[in-house]
Amino acid sequence: MGSPCHFALFGLQPDFRVDLAQLAARYRELAKAVHPDRFAHASEREQRLALEQSAQLNEAYQTLRSAPRRALYLLSLSGEALPLEATVQDPEFLLQQMHWREELEELQDSADLDGVAAFKQRLKGAQNELDERFAECWNDPARREEAERLVRRMQFLDKLAHEVRILEERLDD
Amino acid sequence: MAYSDKVIDHYENPRNVGKLDANDPNVGTGMVGAPACGDVMRLQIKVNEQGVIEDAKFKTYGCGSAIASSSLATEWMKGKTLEEAEAIKNTQLAEELALPPVKIHCSVLAEDAIKAAVRDYKQKKGLL
Repeated sequence: MGSPCHFALFGLQPDFRVDLAQLAARYRELAKAVHPDRFAHASEREQRLALEQSAQLNEAYQTLRSAPRRALYLLSLSGEALPLEATVQDPEFLLQQMHWREELEELQDSADLDGVAAFKQRLKGAQNELDERFAECWNDPARREEAERLVRRMQFLDKLAHEVRILEERLDD
Repeated sequence: MAYSDKVIDHYENPRNVGKLDANDPNVGTGMVGAPACGDVMRLQIKVNEQGVIEDAKFKTYGCGSAIASSSLATEWMKGKTLEEAEAIKNTQLAEELALPPVKIHCSVLAEDAIKAAVRDYKQKKGLL
């Protein structure tokens, strides 16, 4: 194993429930300590080391602050990593995703900002619910299949949230 | 990344976009998704008494390559038997559309959607 555990870098135990404000604060602290500027006069080896640590820290932070990425990472620690590219067949969920995409399309066509705000809130609710369900089951080997299905759903909602943000920006202009 | 002319053509003029009645006993529906890019693809076929696909429709939320892959898939499926449709490979779709390596998974998604639609139809008919 080349790199240390992302959680360990922040002095945390692997868990899905993470205090994001605390994580961000700890990140800023740690980032300062390994910032390349601090090593401008250090030896080449020390500079390289600081650069590596800085990159590791960034990767760890980006992974832990995103719910789906954190969830995928936890599953990779407790078993085999899920393939990046996969086809999901989760008919009911996908049907709902289709409806939500259609809705978002209509909101875009009508430039309905209030509608987008309401949509966003509903999406946030669905994300919170998924997060709660994942937090309950990720650490139980007997519920691995359920945890994998949930993390895939989290990925879809994360992408949808991204689409919503793009739409918001476009309507704001 | 530049799209090929064929991808752009299918993206700008998608063939067979739409919906068939999922409750029709002669309609098979395949619903698949790619979590990493958030793509969602629905592909439907209507099969006649001779076991030939007489109509195919799709709706895809995703990138141009995913839309083109499913559009081309519906085009190729029409007039084919179920067995012939099932034999369509993602590599054929990718080659026809000149998809770059990073977009190959879009054609895989389309192939999986074809298989899911055929399976749904067969399940309805008690053929599985």
